[in-house]
Amino acid sequence: MSSESITQQVPSMSRRSRWARVKKSMGEFSLSLYGWGGYFFLYLPIVILVIFSFNDSRSTAQWSGFTFDWYGEMIHDSQIILSLWNSLFVAVISTIISVVIGTLAAMAMERHVFRGKLLMDAVLYLPIIIPDIAMAIMLLIFFDISGIGFEPWKVSLFGIRLAVPYSVIISHVAFNISFVAIVVRARLAQMDRTLEEAAQDLYADTWQTFWKVTLPMMMPGIMGGALLAFTLSLDDFVITFFTSGAGFNTLPVRVFSMIKKGVTPKINAVSSLMLVFSLALIGISLLLRKGGDEEPTIGIGL
Amino acid sequence: MSDGLAVELRQVVKRFGEVTAVESVSLQIQHGEFFSLLGPSGCGKTTTLRLIAGFEMPTSGDIIINGEMQGHLPPYQRPVNTVFQHYALFPHMTVAQNVAFGLEMKKVSKDEITRRVGEALELVHLGKMGSRRPKQLSGGQQQRVALARALVNRPKVLLLDEPLGALDLKLRKAMQGELKALQEQVGITFIYVTHDQEEALTMSDRIAVMSAGHVFQVGFPEDIYENPNTRFVADFIGETNFLHGTVHRRGPLAEIAIAENVILPARWASDELPAGSSATLSIRPEKILIASGDEKPPSDGEFVSVPGQVAEVVYLGTDTRYVVRIVDGVQTVVRVQNLEMGNKRFKVGDAVMLHWRVEHGRILKE
Repeated sequence: MSSESITQQVPSMSRRSRWARVKKSMGEFSLSLYGWGGYFFLYLPIVILVIFSFNDSRSTAQWSGFTFDWYGEMIHDSQIILSLWNSLFVAVISTIISVVIGTLAAMAMERHVFRGKLLMDAVLYLPIIIPDIAMAIMLLIFFDISGIGFEPWKVSLFGIRLAVPYSVIISHVAFNISFVAIVVRARLAQMDRTLEEAAQDLYADTWQTFWKVTLPMMMPGIMGGALLAFTLSLDDFVITFFTSGAGFNTLPVRVFSMIKKGVTPKINAVSSLMLVFSLALIGISLLLRKGGDEEPTIGIGL
Repeated sequence: MSDGLAVELRQVVKRFGEVTAVESVSLQIQHGEFFSLLGPSGCGKTTTLRLIAGFEMPTSGDIIINGEMQGHLPPYQRPVNTVFQHYALFPHMTVAQNVAFGLEMKKVSKDEITRRVGEALELVHLGKMGSRRPKQLSGGQQQRVALARALVNRPKVLLLDEPLGALDLKLRKAMQGELKALQEQVGITFIYVTHDQEEALTMSDRIAVMSAGHVFQVGFPEDIYENPNTRFVADFIGETNFLHGTVHRRGPLAEIAIAENVILPARWASDELPAGSSATLSIRPEKILIASGDEKPPSDGEFVSVPGQVAEVVYLGTDTRYVVRIVDGVQTVVRVQNLEMGNKRFKVGDAVMLHWRVEHGRILKE
C-alpha cells in the first residue's frame, strides 16, 4: 500500500508505475477469481446436494418446496440404519486397532535404528500412495487365498444385531495404520527428547516415562491420527465393497446400491448427514489442535 | 561416604563410534562443593555431566557417586538430579505437578509431597505460581521451576547443564548470584557446566577446564586465572599476552629470549624445558605497569622491565588499553585502570617502559 502512494507522488515514474500497478492488480484479481472459481467448482455440487435433500419431490434436479420428509424416511429405513451401525462399528474397531499399531510403528520408526528400516518405512506408507482399487483387489485375493476373514463377527448393539466380516475390519486397519503412523510420527519428531530424560532423571523408569510423559505428549498426534482414521474408515467405499463379501453393507456401500435402483433425495439426505458428521470430526480435530499445547500439531493434514 | 567424596570419576572414557568425546577424565568433587566444568563447546563437558547423570554410559572407567559405584545404573536409580539447559519442563503439567514429579515417582506420601513442593517453590520465590503452566512463565521463572523440581528431591548432587545459557545478560547476572546463594543455603554439591569463564570464576569453588575431551587443569578460580598450566587455559580464561621465544637459561627462575637482545625472566608453569627449546611467556595485561622511561618500578619485589613504543590507545571507560610494540612483530597489550579523570597518559608513538613482577610471567610449553 505504502509503495503505491509513494509512486503516485513521483511524477517522472508515474506512467511506467501506473501500468505496473494495473498489471499487478489485474494479476491479483484474476488469481483470486481463479481461486474462488476452484472452490465454487468443488463445493457447489455439495451445496446443491444438501439443498435437494430438503426437496419436496422425488426429483433431485427440480426444486418444488421444502420438506424434512426424506430425513424421516431415512430414519425409518431399517437397511440404512443397519448400514450406519455397521459403518460406525467398523470405524470404531478399526480405529482403535490401527491407533495402537500405528502409534507403535511411529515410535519404532522415529526412535530406533534397525535392519531394513528404510524398506519398512516405504512399506508402511504404501497404502497412502497406491490406488484404493489396487489395494482392494490385493486384499480380496489375500482373503480368498488364505480363506480367512469372510466369516462375520456377530455382535448386538442397542438391540440391533450386527454381523461384520473380519475381512472388512482387517482391511480398514490395513490402510488406517499408515495414516495414524504418519500423523503420530510428525508429532513425535517435534517432541523434545530431553523431556523423557528429565522424567528418567526424576526417578521414572522406562514404563513410567512412557505413560507419564511420552504418551501425554504424543496425545494430540494420536487423537489427530484417530480422527483421521475414523473419517477414512467411515467414508471408504472401494475397499469395503471388495472385501465385505455378500450381504454386508456399510453406509457408503448401501448408498451405492440404492443409486442403482434410482436416485431419490433420500440419498441426498444420507449424504448430507455423512457430510455433517465428517465436518464435525474435522472441527473436533481442529479444536484439539488448538487446545493441545505449545507446538502446532498435524491433525488432519492430508 | 567412605572416601568423603561426593563424586569421583576414575579415568572415564566415552566414545561415540569413532569420536572420543571424553578422554580419560579423572575428577574428585567434595561434598557441598560448587564445581564447574568449563570449556568451549564440544569440549566434552556436557558429555561428562551426562555420564554422571546416567544418560550416557562410559566406554571405560568408573563413576562413583557418594561412595557407590554407578556402573551401568540407569538415570532413575542415581542419587542425582539435573537442571537442563532448556529446562525440559513438562508442558502438560502445572508448575506444582512438575515439581512433584520426582517425589511421586519415589512414592512419597501425598501430604509430604504437598508440603515439600510448597517449600521448594518458596525457595525459588515462586510460591504463588504452582497452578500455572510452564508456558505461562518467563524464561527466568521457568529456570527457577527447573531448579525447584530438582532440589525438591534433595539429591546428593545437583547437575546443571548451562542453566543460565538461555537467559538474557541482565537476568543471567542476577541468577548467578541467586544460584550461588541457593547452593550455600541448601548445601548440596553442584556440578555446573558452562562455557562462560566469567560465570565459572564468579560462582565456583573449584573449576575444571576442559578441551577436546581432556581436563587440562583443576583448581580454585584464582589459581586457574593466576597460574594457568597450559597455553589453552591461559588463553581461554581471561585475556593474556603470549610472547614466543626460546628458553635461554634453565633453573627455577628461567629466562626466555623473545628477541635477540630481549631476555625475560619468568617462572615455569609446567615441567622445565631444556635450553634452546621453544616456549611461550604468558603475562596478563593488567599485571603490566606502563611508565615513562625515567620512572622506576616500585621498590618492593623483583620486576621485569622492557622498553617499548605505544602503537595503539583505546579508552574503555573503566580502563585504558594500550598496545605496546616491544620489538618488530612483538606486541603486548597493557590494561591500565583509569584512576584519574579522562587523561590518557601516553599517546601513540610514545617511548615507554613496561614493568611487571617476575612471578606474574609464566612460561608455557608450546
